[in-house]
Amino acid sequence: MSFLNPILLAGAAAFLIPLIIHLLNKRKVITVLWGPMHLLHEALRQKKRNVKMEQKLLLAVRISIPILLALCLALPVLSALSQLPGFDKTSLLVVLDNSFSMRAPGTGGTARDKARNDLRQTYTTLSRGSDTAVILAGAPPHRLTAEPTSDLEAVPTLLENEPSLGGPLALQDTFQLVQADLGKLATPAREVLLVSDFKWSDWRQLAEGGTLPALESILKQERPPLVTFLRSSGDTESNLAVVSVEPSAFVVARGQMIALRARIQNHGPQAYQDVAVHLEANGARLRSTRVSVAPNSESVITLTHTFDAPGDQALTVRVEGDSLPDDNAYSVIIPVREQVNCLLVRGKSRSGPLEGATDFLEIGLTPHQSAATTLKDVIRTGVIDDHAMRDKTLDGSEVVILANVNRLNDRQVQELEEYVQRGGGLIIFMGPDMDMRWYQEKLYQNGKGLLPCTLNGFGHVDEGQTPARILNQRHTHPAITYFNEARGMRLQDAAFTHWVKFDKVEGDARPILNLDRGDPLMVEKPRGKGRVIAVATTANAQWSNLPLQPAFVPLIQRLVTYLATQNAAPQSQMCGTVLRASLGTEQVKGNYELKDPMSRTREVTPRADRDGVIFVDHSDTAVPGIYELRAKNVPGALVRRFAFNLNPAESNLSAMPEENIRAMAQRLGASYASSQDEYARLDRTRRHGAEAWQPLLFALLLFLFAEVFLQQRISRA
Amino acid sequence: MAKLSDLLTAEDLVQLTGLPLFARTVMEGFSTGQHASPHKGSSVEFRQHRPYVQGDEIKRLDWKIFGRSDRFYIREFDEETNLRATVLLDSSGSMAYRGTKGAIKFEHARKVAASLAYVLTGQQDAVGLVTFDDKVREFIPCRTKTSHLHHILDTLQRTQPGGETSLSAVLRNLASRLKRRGLLLLVSDCFDDAERLIQSVGALRKQGHEIIVFQVWDRDELDFPFSRWARFENAERTEDSLLLDPAAIRQRYLQVLQTFREQLLEGLRRHQVDLVPIITDEPLTEAIKAYLALRMRQ
Repeated sequence: MSFLNPILLAGAAAFLIPLIIHLLNKRKVITVLWGPMHLLHEALRQKKRNVKMEQKLLLAVRISIPILLALCLALPVLSALSQLPGFDKTSLLVVLDNSFSMRAPGTGGTARDKARNDLRQTYTTLSRGSDTAVILAGAPPHRLTAEPTSDLEAVPTLLENEPSLGGPLALQDTFQLVQADLGKLATPAREVLLVSDFKWSDWRQLAEGGTLPALESILKQERPPLVTFLRSSGDTESNLAVVSVEPSAFVVARGQMIALRARIQNHGPQAYQDVAVHLEANGARLRSTRVSVAPNSESVITLTHTFDAPGDQALTVRVEGDSLPDDNAYSVIIPVREQVNCLLVRGKSRSGPLEGATDFLEIGLTPHQSAATTLKDVIRTGVIDDHAMRDKTLDGSEVVILANVNRLNDRQVQELEEYVQRGGGLIIFMGPDMDMRWYQEKLYQNGKGLLPCTLNGFGHVDEGQTPARILNQRHTHPAITYFNEARGMRLQDAAFTHWVKFDKVEGDARPILNLDRGDPLMVEKPRGKGRVIAVATTANAQWSNLPLQPAFVPLIQRLVTYLATQNAAPQSQMCGTVLRASLGTEQVKGNYELKDPMSRTREVTPRADRDGVIFVDHSDTAVPGIYELRAKNVPGALVRRFAFNLNPAESNLSAMPEENIRAMAQRLGASYASSQDEYARLDRTRRHGAEAWQPLLFALLLFLFAEVFLQQRISRA
Repeated sequence: MAKLSDLLTAEDLVQLTGLPLFARTVMEGFSTGQHASPHKGSSVEFRQHRPYVQGDEIKRLDWKIFGRSDRFYIREFDEETNLRATVLLDSSGSMAYRGTKGAIKFEHARKVAASLAYVLTGQQDAVGLVTFDDKVREFIPCRTKTSHLHHILDTLQRTQPGGETSLSAVLRNLASRLKRRGLLLLVSDCFDDAERLIQSVGALRKQGHEIIVFQVWDRDELDFPFSRWARFENAERTEDSLLLDPAAIRQRYLQVLQTFREQLLEGLRRHQVDLVPIITDEPLTEAIKAYLALRMRQ
């Protein structure tokens, strides 16, 4: 047994008080010359079984009371070997939630500050010789120190210098790291302490019955560590965040207007009225507007801008008036080009208006030019017949579209193959004049050719039957996510009477759109540095009315610009993911510098991957904002920009109720502590033994009752 | 020579003067008095005529009847006699108790004895005195002379408490010494075995004695007011002592005391003996007056 407040044990000396009183009483006896001694003897005889025994018992009870009280106040804990020198070392593996929601302010600081203070306090209770490791669990999870350390005082300092801007908790990955690190800890008394704010967004899946295989396997070890979930949360639930910014195009031309659709989410019960929203281009504020957002809802605003210089331009939408500023801005990169060249290769054409295989494509890709307006199209098209494809025809085109091409010669196929391998984009529209056998043999080549999938005959609807339509589902392909919320542009309005049945969509191939008859309408497959998209219908209105739909123009434009920018940097990335920029082969010897959103500059060196592609990469992207890459010491060098944003899921600060966390912890085989004090008690119990003051207090109460009872009984005797 | 005022105050004497103390049973006195005598003689109270038998005194013949009937009859009268009262004063060690309020039990008992002697002497009764502990210390036979009262008072003054009590043994002893029936006034704390005491009193009653027991108590003996640890030493045998917490035993002591008093009262009542409690913190004469008044009404 040991004591947490051993100094209070001195209070046990108070047992002397009743003893001394007893002895003094005995010592200061008066002598009475008494007559009726026979009565006194008789009284004593009748009471003999009680008096001496009960008086001794009463004295014992009175002596015990101060001793018990002192023991209670000294907070005794029952322990065995842990009290022996060298047996109380512990290995503490801390899993710290460093997702940016931990930066949410609250009374007494942010959850991150609380967690750090809690850990600092916890480390002070560890015995000398204990060791620790810290894993930061926000995506991507990583170790604070490469190896476990016994320098417990240094860890809180290291934590203070670590930004808490991780993404959502990556629990499975984190516990895999935990599993690896547990073996490196020095002592057999291992504990895992997970400190988190337990937000619904991070824990919902697990709280609702999901599994965490890595943790399960840890707990199935022969000597599993003690696992504790410690809550460390701020009390702020209101938060305003820009959760997404969607540009209207993947690429724009210089002088062409681009629209941005920004979603501003209000996570919380507080309404925000007339909040300022700013649009910034490359860090410079362009204009502001105001928006009101009701509690627990979102507002969508559209902002427009026209760039007058080519290059990777950054646009940022920023809101004001929020106590958690990290998620108040969202940036995207807009590639601004002079133009995107698209070559249309048409097969056999008919002479009627809009009956040509590429007529609708020409109009759709260059609507302003077709309508002879002054507005500028970013895409410039060129049209040739299939037999006109010769050497170098494809040079200068970012995207090539084949429409109703019957067949090509081997030389043309070879050119197309090389074109795609170099990074070109190819769209293949089917048509009535196509030679299906040739397509199968020469373009598919059992999955080794350009065609993403095999062709399995024609599909059609008979007269009187309802036409086939595009399956109504939420689109995930970046080229068409725009249509998820595009009002008045429903892809499902297009009706299809004929199509080619695509089959064996496997390997790298993936469908982009499907028909409601179960056949894919568009299938994409990467090939080399380029991509190929096969479309099961014609590019004109021969097999469907898709070209007549309002959605056709944005659809075909987005497909083309998607393919034209496929090798460009993503418009937006999540913080924590790796920044990777492909460079030209000739740029391998140059030096580059990267400036992060906090204006810190560091040098990066180009490298070549196994395919010979030259690139630079950078993994420290925890801070959201614009990262700029430029050639070092080259005046006027082109700046490449990259946008990194926080995961919008982290913006929802609503925390799980305590009972859910407790139930979840119990189900997973972990303990739960709602505060540092509770954890300290739990930890003391586990490391040093159970606190024994409660039974002692109970005994004290019993003794108090016994004292009163005996006193009464003796006086009545 | 001791004076009455040495024991009783003037106020006590005023209150005691004229108080009657009659025997309830017939007494064998030796002069005319207020008490009925078992001897039939020539008294004023005619009882009966009976035929003359040889040996009768000639002077008791009723000559008027002889004149009318020529037969010898003897006139019989109820004889009234004076009372032979003996005060028995317990002088054992237990009577020496000095209470927490300062009163000494024996002083009180001595005053009771003196008061009784004074009252009895005042009504021309013969008064004797016996002091005792475990045996009779002084035995003063009954006399009616006023000077005898002084002798008694003198003896009372000289008597000091001490020694062990053996009340029942003393009473048995007295039964053999008191040949003539009389009134026995026992002034004692009666701290003896109740059964033996009652038996001894019963033996005296069978001899025709009337007995009144004045049981003298100190308030401490009735209330047991001690609170601190105390060593209780037997006032009669110092080797007998008890060290105890009085508070722890008080209730039980009071129960035992109550039982003892009830046992004594019941046993004495069985033998038609009055038990008069005398408590040291109560006025002595008031207690005697109250008892005698009650006795008169009965």
